[in-house]
Amino acid sequence: MAKPKLLKEVLKNLFSKPATIQYPREPTPVEPDFRGRHYADLRKCIGCSLCAIECPAKAITMTKIPPQYAEKVKKNPRKIYPVVNYLKCIFCYRCVTVCPTQAYTTTNEYKLASFGKITSEELSLKTLAE
Amino acid sequence: MTVSKIVEIPIVAEIPVGPQHPAIHEPIMLKIYVEGEEVVKVEINTGYNHRGIEKLCEKNSFYKDIFIVSRVCGICNTVHGDCYVRAVEQILDIDPPRRAKYLRTLAMELERIHSHMIINAIMAEIIGYDTLFMLIMRDREMVMKAKEILTGGRVLADYMMVGGVRRDIDEVKRDKILSILDKIEPRVKYYMKLFEEDVTIEKRLRGIGRIKPDEVLKFSLVGPTARGSSIKTDARVEDKYDAYDEVPFNVIVRDEGDSWARMMVRWEETIESINMSRYILNHLPKDGNPVPDERRLPRRFPPGESFTRAEAPRGELTYYIKSDGKPNPYRVKIRTPSFNNIINSGFVYLGHTLADVPVILTSFDPCISCMERVIVIDLKNQTKKIVPFKYISLGRV
Repeated sequence: MAKPKLLKEVLKNLFSKPATIQYPREPTPVEPDFRGRHYADLRKCIGCSLCAIECPAKAITMTKIPPQYAEKVKKNPRKIYPVVNYLKCIFCYRCVTVCPTQAYTTTNEYKLASFGKITSEELSLKTLAE
Repeated sequence: MTVSKIVEIPIVAEIPVGPQHPAIHEPIMLKIYVEGEEVVKVEINTGYNHRGIEKLCEKNSFYKDIFIVSRVCGICNTVHGDCYVRAVEQILDIDPPRRAKYLRTLAMELERIHSHMIINAIMAEIIGYDTLFMLIMRDREMVMKAKEILTGGRVLADYMMVGGVRRDIDEVKRDKILSILDKIEPRVKYYMKLFEEDVTIEKRLRGIGRIKPDEVLKFSLVGPTARGSSIKTDARVEDKYDAYDEVPFNVIVRDEGDSWARMMVRWEETIESINMSRYILNHLPKDGNPVPDERRLPRRFPPGESFTRAEAPRGELTYYIKSDGKPNPYRVKIRTPSFNNIINSGFVYLGHTLADVPVILTSFDPCISCMERVIVIDLKNQTKKIVPFKYISLGRV
């Protein structure tokens, strides 16, 4: 009959730091190129809606740029921009790779819990305010 | 009144296990008929997780389907993506560079490591060894990190693309993954030794759910289940897809055929996968860019059909794709390993006790979300007679 080999391991773990991370209080380590929240940079976007066509989750809708921002956009004849619904998005980054002007800004932000709808609208419009 | 016939009705209790199954937290229902403690019949009911993915693939374009088929199963998502992408490449007649093939193989082998680790952890949990479950899951997290470094996603990789992979690997990332592999290897060897020697594991797994080699062939079981019963079958060796023709590895086969042998096959395969990953990282070829420009991929698909197979962590996975020249595929047929292994495995439970049922089910490594495909049953030759209690009491048996 074999001896309980696990006992040593259990004792070792009893006196070591816990492997778990107290998540909301402590940040979990993520790679810098983790596929996180992404949004369109409206200074580059040409409103071609290719990302909305190619999105497998249909998470991107093309929306009219609000009139107060519309004058700032130069290369966008139809004055539309993509809004990503992060609750629908599967973070495959297909939109990022098919974009002809590489307009998408990618981040490794993954904390997307929210009570309401979360979209890229605010982040995208902020790129024009600068 | 004289007694002419005595009808003895054995007391058979029907015990439903599932659909909210305690073993692997996936929706499958096992209707278990027990006489006392012994299992006499098992009915396997599926269909609680049917999502219509094959139909969804027909409604979406070839490129969108790469991401849809990855969602068939969470644990083996890169192997689904790889199998589908190779089928599309066959239709388009594209050959990706060797570097892309090596990186695909690396992603799939990392996935095999964590898939085998999770099922062994679940097996430890099922037999009441929660400490071991926690320890294996803790070390599995390192593999998830390696996968995150390579693909950019912890679970869902979305790594495969027609003509290559979606991101390349540099020296820094390579060293990071190599150091993670160095950390995992002693742990996996320790757990393997534990599974070999521990009393509890031996008592719960040895001799439970024994499958003979001819039964494996008769019921067409695949993957580690077949290899645990001394059937040497592995799609990686038979097809030599991607970089498996150059990466050296052994096919693990065991003769015992019981639940323990199946789990041991998985542990030994994990060590093989670690060695393969290390070989791939040290011998990465540099023959061109493995990342295709997704904006310049072909938009037109010639009519044709293709059939590919891959060795998923659970066994042989096959894809059949038919194109009729339109942007969407005409048909995508998926056959996953769990489909064979679970639906055909009702005979294994017979004769064992009720407490062994979760052990046997877990030893097949069921992936229920994988296997929810359409089932065709031939009713022509099946005859069944049901006699109600009323007739038994009237003596019309």
